[in-house]
Amino acid sequence: MEYILEMKDISKTFPGVKALDRVQLQIKPGEVHALMGENGAGKSTLMKILMGIYSKDDGGEILFSGKPYKAASPKEAMDLGVAMIHQELNPILDMSVYENIFVGREIRKNGLVDKKAEIEQSRKLIEESGLHVAPEEKLRSLTVAQCQLIEIIKAISVNAKVIIMDEPTAAISEREVELLFGHIRKLAEKGVAIIYISHRMDEIFSICDRVSVYRDGQYIASGDTKDLDEAQLIKMMVGREITDVFPKLEAEIGEVVLEAKNIARADRKVKGVSFSVRKGEILGIGGLVGAGRSELVEGLFGMHPLSSGEVFIRDKRVAVHSPHDIIKEGVALITEDRKVTGLNLSGTVNDNIAMVAIRKLLSHGLYNKNKARSASLDYIKKLNIKTPSGDQIVGNLSGGNQQKVVIAKWLLNDPDIIILDEPTRGIDVGAKRDIYLLLGKLVQQGKAVVMISSEIPELMGVCDRIMVMCEGNLSGEVKRADFSQERIMALASAIEV
Amino acid sequence: MKQKKNAKALISEYFIFAIFIALVIVLTCLKPSFIQPSNLVNIMKQASINGILAFGMMFVIIAGGFDMSVGSTVAFTGILAAMLGQGQYPLIVPLIVAMLAGLAVGLVNGVGVAIGDLPPFIMTLGTMTAVRGLALLTSKGKPITGISKEYRGIAGGSVFGVPMLAVFLVIVILICSFVLAKTVYGRRVYACGGNLQAARVSGINTTAIRISTFAIAGLLAGLSGFLMTSRVTIGQPTAAESYEMDAITACVVGGVSMAGGVGKPWGVVVGCLLITIIANGLDIMGVSSHWQKIVKGAIIVLAVLMDVKGKGKKN
Repeated sequence: MEYILEMKDISKTFPGVKALDRVQLQIKPGEVHALMGENGAGKSTLMKILMGIYSKDDGGEILFSGKPYKAASPKEAMDLGVAMIHQELNPILDMSVYENIFVGREIRKNGLVDKKAEIEQSRKLIEESGLHVAPEEKLRSLTVAQCQLIEIIKAISVNAKVIIMDEPTAAISEREVELLFGHIRKLAEKGVAIIYISHRMDEIFSICDRVSVYRDGQYIASGDTKDLDEAQLIKMMVGREITDVFPKLEAEIGEVVLEAKNIARADRKVKGVSFSVRKGEILGIGGLVGAGRSELVEGLFGMHPLSSGEVFIRDKRVAVHSPHDIIKEGVALITEDRKVTGLNLSGTVNDNIAMVAIRKLLSHGLYNKNKARSASLDYIKKLNIKTPSGDQIVGNLSGGNQQKVVIAKWLLNDPDIIILDEPTRGIDVGAKRDIYLLLGKLVQQGKAVVMISSEIPELMGVCDRIMVMCEGNLSGEVKRADFSQERIMALASAIEV
Repeated sequence: MKQKKNAKALISEYFIFAIFIALVIVLTCLKPSFIQPSNLVNIMKQASINGILAFGMMFVIIAGGFDMSVGSTVAFTGILAAMLGQGQYPLIVPLIVAMLAGLAVGLVNGVGVAIGDLPPFIMTLGTMTAVRGLALLTSKGKPITGISKEYRGIAGGSVFGVPMLAVFLVIVILICSFVLAKTVYGRRVYACGGNLQAARVSGINTTAIRISTFAIAGLLAGLSGFLMTSRVTIGQPTAAESYEMDAITACVVGGVSMAGGVGKPWGVVVGCLLITIIANGLDIMGVSSHWQKIVKGAIIVLAVLMDVKGKGKKN
């Protein structure tokens, strides 16, 4: 038996859309296999079929260990030996580690939960994985990376032969990524196959053995990662060659439009940071996860109370008590987590686009649906948002398109200063490039852009200047001429070079 | 392909309306007297007070809240209206006082929820209990009788054959639908319920919006209290028990999502009429009120279940 899992000619039709069209996937035991493709390529749909969340169309077959496989629910899939670690982890935060490991398949003794046995087994599993937590600890006190490892432990404990990991590094720091990779390698050595979904190229090349590429619901190709390079992969994914991954448009840099002085937050997550950004400039904010970058811009934007600090916009001091105060001055903040602070997921694209600048969509003082519709159509075209219409519920769009809706809602307000917090997280190469180009166009129009990103190549690619934060402080600033990955990393971890 | 999808979406969107029509046909076949004008007038009267409350409730639920206190508020404001509606003042006085009292209760709820950060259920459970006490206290625990003939005439009267109570309801429906669909405020109510955090980050004053939805529910409860006293001709401190549940039922059956952010005014109108004709139909068929409750409960669950399942398939 060469393959542990074979998916042959899998199709899936949703009302009005063919999400998958006779797609293939073959997984060998003990390999780390990357699934790649732009948002909407069909990777998630394929995995949801495997997990029994969706049922496939008639025709095609799934073989697991050479035998026909059919799961009607994630529970059945787990019983058969397929487990998935979701991008958005949903651990039960107020339950302990051992309860989370055994939730849904509690060990029983005389019909009651055998707490002792659960703790005992959990302890063994945790020790094997090299994690340093007690089984009785509550998940709430763990870091995201630790919670992720608990999920992996859970998958191992059900004897999963195939573990699907959807963007496992999206929310963890660089050091934790290394730890995670260590665990993945150990699992692979034991013969467990990992299906790895990620948009980060460097990860694909450092951890994956093979890769399968999908585009618009079609299977494109599979291959060994050692025989492929980044350009080839991108070409397979987007169907055309992208020569410059980070397009940089020339813009004229003018006077200072936003100046923040000595920003400190009441919760001490930001300890006195000053910076300024000029018209026509893209300022990057780099640093490790938890360095206080999001906290800085959220504090500046009036989302959290500041203990000190002054904000000047075009040399005018602005007292910021709530987001409204600074939006009025032409500032926009595209927040890090679009689902929590960006979108009304149950609303339509039109509803969302009307959220900030509804005053532009009025006639005679009243909300005009037609104006909203044409404004949203305008941005659907300009930002290349893939949606059947403006009346589509935003929750049904893919991540990259949701991100574009958030940007559209702010652009409609015609801001002069645009702050973006991890604007390209979890979205594909094509959509990323769209966003870089958009930022370039915005500064060409004389706007100022501030971008937070954890990906140093991205910052170096599109920014004119990068300020780096570390533990709530500003640790340094680098001009475009002096950009180097080492320099920025050193500042981020506050090492003197 | 596209047309098929639209047809499906249409069916799921107007599903509750289809159930309503089907029920009207069934009831008419079973009991032809159901469709007679006198009974239709009756249905309109029965639907009015619940309808007005349901529209207030709709604002609260769409904004992501929940209000348990409106029943008590109806009783309390009804007592106030009865005390002031004995003929000593023009009728506008009890009307205004009842609505202001309702507004006050609503503001307390809103401040507790939006500023005090209390779960809406807890906050309004508190006011539900306290305001009921206030009703008993003001009336000294006894019904208030002796309201003026004029005042009684409001609920009894009609305009071109349409009962006055229904006229009030129609005015409320028109104003509320307009506000929700057309004004900046209305759109922001939806935004708050859809995602409170995102609404705040978008520069919306979410505190004010949330308080205002409770205030609207209170204001309309005050109006209902005024009308109910006119209808039953006395002010009863124990009246309007569980009216909040009927209002919530009308909203939920009408497709307003308890999670907030979703709901259409016409859905609430249908939801309200649906539960009224169920009660009315069972009444004229001579079904005992004990059975009526069971049937009503079952229909609520079934209607929403079918609605949810229909929508589930669409996605």
